[in-house]
Amino acid sequence: MENQTIKIGLPRALLYYRYRVLWRTFFQDLGMETVVSPPTDREILERGTALAIDEACLSLKIYLGHVAALVGKCDYILAPRVSNFGRHRSFCTRFEAAPDLVRNVFRDSRQELLSYEVDVLLKKDEEDGFLEMGRALGCPPKAVKKAYRAAKKAELAHHKARVQKQEQLCRREGMKVLIAAHSYGAEDPALGRMVTGYLKRAGVIPLRADLVDRDAAVKRSRELSPTCKWEISREILGGVALRRDEVDGIILLSAFPCGPDAMVNELIARRVKGVPLLNLVLDSQSGVAGVETRLESFIDIIRFKEGTL
Amino acid sequence: MAEAKTRSISFPRYAEYNCAFRYIVEQALDCRYVMPPALTRRTMELGTRYSPDFVCTPFKTILGSMIESLEAGADTLLMTHGLCRLGYYGELAEQILRDLGYQFDFINLSDYDMDKKKEYIRIVRRFNPRVNPARFLAEFMVGLKMVEYLDELTAQYYQNCGFDAMDGAYRRAWQDFLTAMYTAHSRADVENGYRTARRAFQSTRLDKPKRPLRVGIVGEFYTAMDAFSNLEVEQKLADMRVEVHRWMNVTNQFLRYGSGQKNLRVKIRDLCRYDMGPTSTANIWYARECAERGFDGIVHVKSAACTPEIDVMPVLQNISADYKIPVLYLTYDAQTSDVGLMTRLEAFYDMIHMRKKVF
Repeated sequence: MENQTIKIGLPRALLYYRYRVLWRTFFQDLGMETVVSPPTDREILERGTALAIDEACLSLKIYLGHVAALVGKCDYILAPRVSNFGRHRSFCTRFEAAPDLVRNVFRDSRQELLSYEVDVLLKKDEEDGFLEMGRALGCPPKAVKKAYRAAKKAELAHHKARVQKQEQLCRREGMKVLIAAHSYGAEDPALGRMVTGYLKRAGVIPLRADLVDRDAAVKRSRELSPTCKWEISREILGGVALRRDEVDGIILLSAFPCGPDAMVNELIARRVKGVPLLNLVLDSQSGVAGVETRLESFIDIIRFKEGTL
Repeated sequence: MAEAKTRSISFPRYAEYNCAFRYIVEQALDCRYVMPPALTRRTMELGTRYSPDFVCTPFKTILGSMIESLEAGADTLLMTHGLCRLGYYGELAEQILRDLGYQFDFINLSDYDMDKKKEYIRIVRRFNPRVNPARFLAEFMVGLKMVEYLDELTAQYYQNCGFDAMDGAYRRAWQDFLTAMYTAHSRADVENGYRTARRAFQSTRLDKPKRPLRVGIVGEFYTAMDAFSNLEVEQKLADMRVEVHRWMNVTNQFLRYGSGQKNLRVKIRDLCRYDMGPTSTANIWYARECAERGFDGIVHVKSAACTPEIDVMPVLQNISADYKIPVLYLTYDAQTSDVGLMTRLEAFYDMIHMRKKVF
C-alpha cells in the first residue's frame, strides 16, 4: 500500500453524466479518491471557451473548462476514449478524440491523464479498457476485475432506478413534455437544468427521452431511423419512439453546434408528426429570458391545441 | 425484369473521381451513369436551402448535387457510408429529397455491413442482378487503377504547374488527361491516357528554383480534395509559384491504408496516443512530415462544423509551435466569393516568402 491515496479527477461534463456511478465506484473500490469539478458556472464556461477552438461545440468548451478546474488538484484526470459499442453504435468522433485533445490542449501543465479505451469494432470492450487502466495504475488484475464488475453493477442499478422514476413521473396527471437531449446537455446547470427548472415552475412534468431501458431503446430506434450510427442518439430516438404518444410535447434540446443533433433532430422533426415540437439550440450566450420566452410560448401552443388555454 | 439495364445511376460530385464512378457503373455494372453537372453556385444554393443549418458543408454540397443529378435524369442515387457524420448523410439526404417530392431508388451503403464481403455481392446484385462477376471484378480493378493514376498525376500537377515555362502546356496536359479519363471505355483508354499525360508532363520545361516554396495541404476528406469546395486553394497557391503537396487522397487513405493506419501512428505516438477520428491520424502524421521535411507552411482545409478536423487543430497548433512552421487554418462555409480567401492566401504567401529569405 502506498502512503498516500491516489486522487482521480473527474470533469463534470460529457460522459460524466452517463458514467459517474461507474467511475466513482470503480476508483473507490480500488482505494482511490475521486474529485469532481464544481458544477458549471460562468468561470468554467469562460475558461473552456478560451481553451477550445472557436468552432467546437459548447459541450466541449464546457468540458475543457471542467478539466482546467481540476488541473493541479489531483494525480490524474480521467479522459476516456469511447469510440463505439459495435456497428451503428458509435459515439460522436469527439469522444474518440477527447483524451488526445485534452493532452494537447493541456500539454504545458504537466498534469497526468488517465484514460481507457472502448472500441468494440477493434475488439476492445469496456471491461478490457478498465483492466488496462487498472494495470496502468498498478493495481492487481484480480482486484481491478472485481472493482469493474461491482462498479458496472452499481451503474446499471442506478440507471434502472432512474428509469423507474421516469415511469412514475409518466403515470402522473398533468402536462408532460419529453426532453430529447444528451445527458450532458440535459443535466448541465448551464443548459438543460435551466429548461427543466422553468418547466417545473410552470407546472409541467419534464420527462427525459434518454432515461429508458437502453437495450430496448436502441432496438426501438430503428423505427425512426434505421441507419442512425450514434449510440446516444439511438437511445434518444428509442425514447422518443417509446414515449411519443404519452407526452404532450417534445423539446429537442441541443448545444450549439452539436454534430449528431444537427442531423438527428432534423430527422426527428421530419418523421415525428402529430406532437408539438420545439427545436431548442442553446449556446453560451443564451440568456435565461430568451429561453424562457420560447418555452412559455411552446407551453401556450400545447395548451391552445388541447383547448385548455 | 428489364429494369436493371435501364437503371440510371448517379453519385454526387466529388473532386474528379466521378470519372472513375462513371467507368465502374458503365463498364463493371453495365448500367447507365448520369454525370452530375459540375458544382456551381446554384448547387450550393439548392443544398443550403434544404439542409439543416449546422450540418457540415459537404452535406449541403452533396444534397445540391443529388438534386441536380435527379434533374439530369438519374433514377438511382448512391450514397456512401463513413466514419463520421458522413455515415448518416444517406438517410437524411434521402428523407429530405423524398419530402421535396423526388422519386428515385436510393442505395445507401450505411444499410449494409461493409465489413462483410458478402454484402458487396448483394450491393452489386442490387445495381444489376445479371452482372457478370468475372467482368465486374476485372473492370472494377480498372476503375481503381484510374483512381490511382488520377491521384498520382493530381499530386504531380499541383507540385509543378506553378513553374510551367511553356505558357500553360502543363495545365493543358492535365486537362487532356482528365478528358481521357472521363471518356475512357476500356483498360487501354485508361493506360494510354495516363501514359500520354506522363509524357506530356515530362516534356514540359519547368522553371523551378532550386529551393522553391513548399506548402503541405492537410484537412478534411471532401473539402481538401474538391477544388470547387475549397475555392481552388491548390491552384491559387500553385499560381503564386508554390509547390503544393497533398498526401490525402483516395489512393492513400483507402487503397494503400485501407486496413488501418497503425504504421502511420507510430511516428506521432508522442502527439496522440489513440486514433482521434476518421482522417486525423493521416493529417497529423502528414503535418509533422511536412514540418520535418522543412516545408515552408501548412494549410489546413476543412468545412465549417467538421468535428474530427476541429479536434485535430490543437495538435496542429502544437506541431506549429514545436517546429516553428506556419499553419493557415481555412474553414469553408457555403460561401460563393473567393476574394476573402485570396487576401488570406496572399498574406500567407508573403509571410512564408519573407521567412524563406530570413532563415
